[in-house]
Amino acid sequence: MHWLAWYFPRLPLACFAVAPEQPFAVSRSEGGRDRIDRCNEAARTLGVRAGMALAEALALAPGLAVRPRDRRREGRLLEALGGWAWRYSSHVTFDPLLVLLEVEGSLRLFGGFERLVARMERELPEAGRPASWAAAPTPAAAALLARVAPGTRVEHREALAQRLDAVPLHRFTRNRRWLELMRGIGLATIGDCLALPRPELARRLGHEPGLLLDRLLGRLPDPRPLWQPPEQFRQRLLLSCEIDRVEALRFPARRLVELLCAFLRGRDGAAQRLRWRLFHREAPATCFETGLLEPTRERGRMLELLRHRLERLVLPAPVVEVELEVTQWHPFRTEPGDLFGAGEGGDDLLLERLRARLGEEAVRGVALCPDHRPERAWRFCAPLDGEGEEVPPDPSARQQPLWLLPRPQPLAVRRGRPCHRGPLRLQPFLQRVETGWWEGEEAARDYYRAVNPAGERFWVYRERGSGAWFLHGVFD
Amino acid sequence: MAAEASLESLLHRGLLWRGNGREGAAGRALSSGFRELDEATGGGWPSGALVELVSPGGQGLSLLVPLLVRLGREPRWLAWVDPPWHPHAPALAARGVAVSRILQVRTAGGAEGLWAAEQLLRSGNCAVVMLWPGRLGTARLRRLQLAAEEGDCLGVLFRSPEAVAAPSPAALRLRLGSRGGKLAVEVLKRRGGWNGGRVEVPCTG
Repeated sequence: MHWLAWYFPRLPLACFAVAPEQPFAVSRSEGGRDRIDRCNEAARTLGVRAGMALAEALALAPGLAVRPRDRRREGRLLEALGGWAWRYSSHVTFDPLLVLLEVEGSLRLFGGFERLVARMERELPEAGRPASWAAAPTPAAAALLARVAPGTRVEHREALAQRLDAVPLHRFTRNRRWLELMRGIGLATIGDCLALPRPELARRLGHEPGLLLDRLLGRLPDPRPLWQPPEQFRQRLLLSCEIDRVEALRFPARRLVELLCAFLRGRDGAAQRLRWRLFHREAPATCFETGLLEPTRERGRMLELLRHRLERLVLPAPVVEVELEVTQWHPFRTEPGDLFGAGEGGDDLLLERLRARLGEEAVRGVALCPDHRPERAWRFCAPLDGEGEEVPPDPSARQQPLWLLPRPQPLAVRRGRPCHRGPLRLQPFLQRVETGWWEGEEAARDYYRAVNPAGERFWVYRERGSGAWFLHGVFD
Repeated sequence: MAAEASLESLLHRGLLWRGNGREGAAGRALSSGFRELDEATGGGWPSGALVELVSPGGQGLSLLVPLLVRLGREPRWLAWVDPPWHPHAPALAARGVAVSRILQVRTAGGAEGLWAAEQLLRSGNCAVVMLWPGRLGTARLRRLQLAAEEGDCLGVLFRSPEAVAAPSPAALRLRLGSRGGKLAVEVLKRRGGWNGGRVEVPCTG
């Protein structure tokens, strides 16, 4: 397992569409007081800092727009970024402000780790920027490293403990009680905790911190739910201040269209009808659609169309929130400038993708071999490898079943009759196979069709030397 | 005039069917190679759609053999995702199936098998994709159905009898049982026609 974690520190701000020149911050309440959680660049230049009391920040920057953090919105936006990650792995999962994806199977397909990361960075929608990443053998370690040591890649589990040694405990957990207890006994870093005998740690803090550490280091499994991307795209952006000019809508619209394009790329889809809703504080929402001639996932075309539509639009009231919804999407066909050229691409891409995910051996073709032993009359081969070598089909195999067991299975014999889920009734003798003696793997078998009491039909043989019975195939 | 044309196109696409005539009402179909079965299902296997074959033991491969013979002549894969045993290539070849077209995909099962099946169905490079899934939610089935439509591929799901209780977006659903050397087929669901048809088809494998 190789987990790649992407951390989006500005996501709480990105849930709100704010013009960059507008000083803006999100707040959290801590011990009954409102504090600045994060702020944008414009606010920072005015002296606003994270952790500052809200009153102090407002005194420094009277024009500061502040919204409380909205974790539901953050979750929805994070899920939209999941659509971006889905293109690179089918195993995507989330932590707060983090998207985690298992990439071991995807590395080959995307030409190695560096290329994969560079490509993901390039295609990351604006709403997720800036982002930092880290990779590690466990999801928890990747998530932690993405926050404390961006750009780190730990390939082996054995190296994890050393890499995480110096990470301060307050980055590992936010549990106040634990942190206080840990500080009380002189623990400051993950390394300190690991150095302490485990029973000692458990006695003081309970079992949970130890379990979390074990998951972090891969000593205990850390199963993560598989995320399935939603069938439909629907995202909303809350505006930090009301917009009454149509042109000003282009900035939030651009964000939404970027998220949509990432969603479509992940699903290998394209959209034709985009449904927009502009919410007003008091008037009913303004709804309109922009339709394309043919399905696309090109951001530029969608935005151009929207611009034309907005020019004709008259707003009944200032806009407070914008929503984009696409309920129907289509399979993606060719589009200029796409990496894969002909959309889904050819056979090679399909096989490559399957192999990358499932392993080399998982995708095979079959070829015939000139041998009378059923298990040797064919073999697995690389797909299409068997095409050139024409072995004429053996007409006697018409009597053989469509299913063959991976290896002959010995059958119990009761009262002289072979049994498989009940005694077998043998039907007339079918075929005798006598071959292989020159290789020292002699096969002298008499094959029969056999029926059990439930009516299931099997292909069985008796070894002529030993008289033993074997099940070798199943008739459909 | 326009209304007439759209009515025609609806009929043609099998979205609308006439209650009094079975012919021509269903979508594009691929003959199964068994006359009785074609009649009961409105032409055979629906192309670009899902088919469910319901039986206790994952039966039904022999019903597909004539189709596999025909589809094997196209330059597309006949894909098997996690079959219960090995497809016996000599027996298939003796019946006329081009074994070099067989693509067998082995996964860890479950979600991974469904993922592989979806990729194969959607790719456009497969003529048929057969799979033996366990439990399967309706949402997952719908995705497979969409993938089959996109890739113009026949998706065949071999399912156990418990699956019948749940609704399904599959275009055709058949219940299979063996009866004295023959395969008894009951039509549980079809497009553009009444359900409940029963036919018997000789077993070939």
